[in-house]
Amino acid sequence: MKRISIPALLLGMLAAAVCAYAHHSFAAEFDANKPVNITGAVTKVEWQNPHVWFYIDVKEASGKVTNWGVEMGSPNGLMRAGWDRNVMKTGEIVTVEGSRAKDDSNNANARSVTLASTGKRLFAASSQGQQ
Amino acid sequence: MISTARRTVLIVLICAAPIVGFAQWLHYPTAGVPKKADGSPNLTGPAPRMADGKPDFSGIWHTARLIPCNPDGNKFIDCGTEIGGSPLALDLGTDMSGGLPYQPWAAALMKQRKADRGIDDPHVRCLPDNPPRPWVMPHLVKAVHTPKLLVLLYEVNAMYRQIFVDGRPPLVNPNPSWNGYSTAKWEGDTLVVQTNGFRDDLWIDMAGSPMGEAGAITERMRRPNYGTLELEITINDPKTYTRPWTVKMVQKIELDTELIDEICLENEKSYQRLQAVRQKN
Repeated sequence: MKRISIPALLLGMLAAAVCAYAHHSFAAEFDANKPVNITGAVTKVEWQNPHVWFYIDVKEASGKVTNWGVEMGSPNGLMRAGWDRNVMKTGEIVTVEGSRAKDDSNNANARSVTLASTGKRLFAASSQGQQ
Repeated sequence: MISTARRTVLIVLICAAPIVGFAQWLHYPTAGVPKKADGSPNLTGPAPRMADGKPDFSGIWHTARLIPCNPDGNKFIDCGTEIGGSPLALDLGTDMSGGLPYQPWAAALMKQRKADRGIDDPHVRCLPDNPPRPWVMPHLVKAVHTPKLLVLLYEVNAMYRQIFVDGRPPLVNPNPSWNGYSTAKWEGDTLVVQTNGFRDDLWIDMAGSPMGEAGAITERMRRPNYGTLELEITINDPKTYTRPWTVKMVQKIELDTELIDEICLENEKSYQRLQAVRQKN
């Protein structure tokens, strides 16, 4: 476990008081009135710019499995916050809370990502800019 | 009594600790930082100077003014892990009564861009962030300053700007470009940068405020102390605005970190979806 120095902690607290930001308007792509809460196994992680995306297989009540794409913040932002590309692994079960894409595709922006096995919160935050 | 084996392990761990701590350049210590008596950075200490005695703007800079976070108001994500951008990135006229002084055609265009939520922003398409946008975006700017040349390096799209301080004349009617062509002269400890030669279709904020070929930017740059870079930016584009206007963009130094290339086109997915949503509506 990486030790966090007091200055780093203070910096982190300062950063937490600041809204994140994206390369596009989130309200243009995602709909805050379409909340999603989905759980599934990670099938792929794209730790790439301008946003990290990961994909999970979500089993619906009917038994049908749907692959969802989930958008997060930029790799740079997440790395500066202490996360890296190895945090999430294929096959892990995660729960995502977020907002669905306006085009009703199976894509969402993640407000929170939680590891089902431990309850650990991953990535803590994503991007938010103009609304 | 510690055994020889345990003592060896302990020594190895102690010796390895700094190496592990600095394994990423993201946390690599910045050299030459003035320090207080307690060893912490003295950001109000004097600005460094170059060999010619002029202030040295070298360093990694980030907007000192950040969009405030309202945890209760977040509709999409939590308050952030990203480093944050300035409200000026969203709208350069945010502090001006009545906003920016658009010409009528530009005001009409702004209405349309607002209705579209800025989805045609070149930034969304991963095109370059022309001046003055990088000073207020949620990305870092690295200044490398020599007496005759100030180079600005940008994380996004591994972009750069060159500001010549070597006495060369400004270009007349140059080929239009994203970053323009910059020359500078000192006025005391203030570097006055003149830039012209812009494209005719630039956005200077996420709201969509335009700037065209007639546009010229004056950046008055000073480093009042080690930790601060002050910018007073005047935009004069008579075809787009009814008068020249000025905005201040204060930067704070970022210590113990390094740029990370952020090539936007690597995996950009939003633009096509945004356009599809517009067509659907």
